[in-house]
Amino acid sequence: MTAPLIARVSRIAADVLEVPATSISLQSSPENVDTWDSVHHLNLVLALEQEFSLQFEPEEIDQMKDIQHIVDILGSKVTQD
Amino acid sequence: MAIAIQPYTADRIPAVMAFNQRLAAGGIAPQFHFPESNVPYWLPKTDERRIYQEYYLAVDGPEVRGAFILKYQDFVLGGEKLPVVYYHLPVSEGIVNKAFASVGVLMLRSALKKEPSLFALGMGGFDRPLPTMLKAMGWSLSAVPFYFRVQHPAAFLRQISPLRQSPARRFLAGIAAATGTGWIGIKSLHWLRTKKGAAVTSVEFVESFGPWADTLWQQHASRYAMIADRQSTTLNVLYPPGKNFLCLRVLREAEVLGWAVVLDTQMQENKYFGNLRVGTIADAFASTENAAVVIQAAMRTLAEREVDIIIANHSHAAWQNAFQSAGFLQGPSNFIFAAAKALAQKLAPFDTNLSRIYFMRGDGDGPVNL
Repeated sequence: MTAPLIARVSRIAADVLEVPATSISLQSSPENVDTWDSVHHLNLVLALEQEFSLQFEPEEIDQMKDIQHIVDILGSKVTQD
Repeated sequence: MAIAIQPYTADRIPAVMAFNQRLAAGGIAPQFHFPESNVPYWLPKTDERRIYQEYYLAVDGPEVRGAFILKYQDFVLGGEKLPVVYYHLPVSEGIVNKAFASVGVLMLRSALKKEPSLFALGMGGFDRPLPTMLKAMGWSLSAVPFYFRVQHPAAFLRQISPLRQSPARRFLAGIAAATGTGWIGIKSLHWLRTKKGAAVTSVEFVESFGPWADTLWQQHASRYAMIADRQSTTLNVLYPPGKNFLCLRVLREAEVLGWAVVLDTQMQENKYFGNLRVGTIADAFASTENAAVVIQAAMRTLAEREVDIIIANHSHAAWQNAFQSAGFLQGPSNFIFAAAKALAQKLAPFDTNLSRIYFMRGDGDGPVNL
């Protein structure tokens, strides 16, 4: 479950952040990806919601500090669903 | 530490001051700093008021990472009275520190969860971060048209020409350039656009709004698709005596046709208007049939005070026609109306009803930006 999820999240993140997919890792965050600003963060949240047909709570958005956290949140939501 | 959205309380004032200092260090101009008082300087909440503001903070333990304001007010929407909330001055530490890139969307989502029928107004243009975010979130956006009328072309040309940095300023400077000698060109342009027939019977200055304003409101408010409450109790809060507002009542014999609130402001090194004396038609109300009479009354009042230029914004088609009939020209607008999905649904079909929505500069974020 985790590996395909990481791959899907990485593909979406690369697309939204306009960077090569190979440059996205679990440690990727606004602090080490130049294009990851407030607007791109919103676009990433919206793209993930569309891809996984769900909506994040504000508290979950706050936890999205990097790709690892995004995968963790999605993992729990997808499992719950 | 998790970020939480909380009402602004007095014990957070030092943290807000520290937040503002970090914004300043990141090059953010003071007008985008958050108030360093938890009690709004404009429209504080009181027991008897239906129009008020509440401040909210995005707190991260002892630190403040973001803040926004909700302005509560009654509207008539589709003939029905209901509260609609204005989301404004959202400021996030994410604009100076990308570690907090999530704060902007967190604040917006939290505000929407609390008040789904949000709107935003002003914002400085479609290309700014907030409108960009709102559009991405599926809000419906539209510019509220900007109108201007040059009263003193020589002063206008002298003050506007050096201000060419932004598209809006380039537009105004372009008007000057395109009219050649300027003075004659601008006068001619306005003369061509000024129609006859909107004669004003009389205009009175009033200190405050009374039952006559309520009668006018009861007669005509429901004819607008969406309009903020303009009854006397609200108007006397928004435009109190003793401030810079000039409140006009327009009559034909004993009948009150409408009213307007105008300002006469001597600018000082203003980034848009240099040192021009600017007249603003900030607010007005009448039936659509009497819009032209009220706009002409406001315009003539400001013209008699020798302002250099008169400006206004209006979203309603009949009022836009009134401005054009009074010789105003339309310029590029950075005054944006944005409706959240829930509000846009109430206005459906949004694109059709857009021209029946009623917003002016007085509906914005306070006297500072009038």
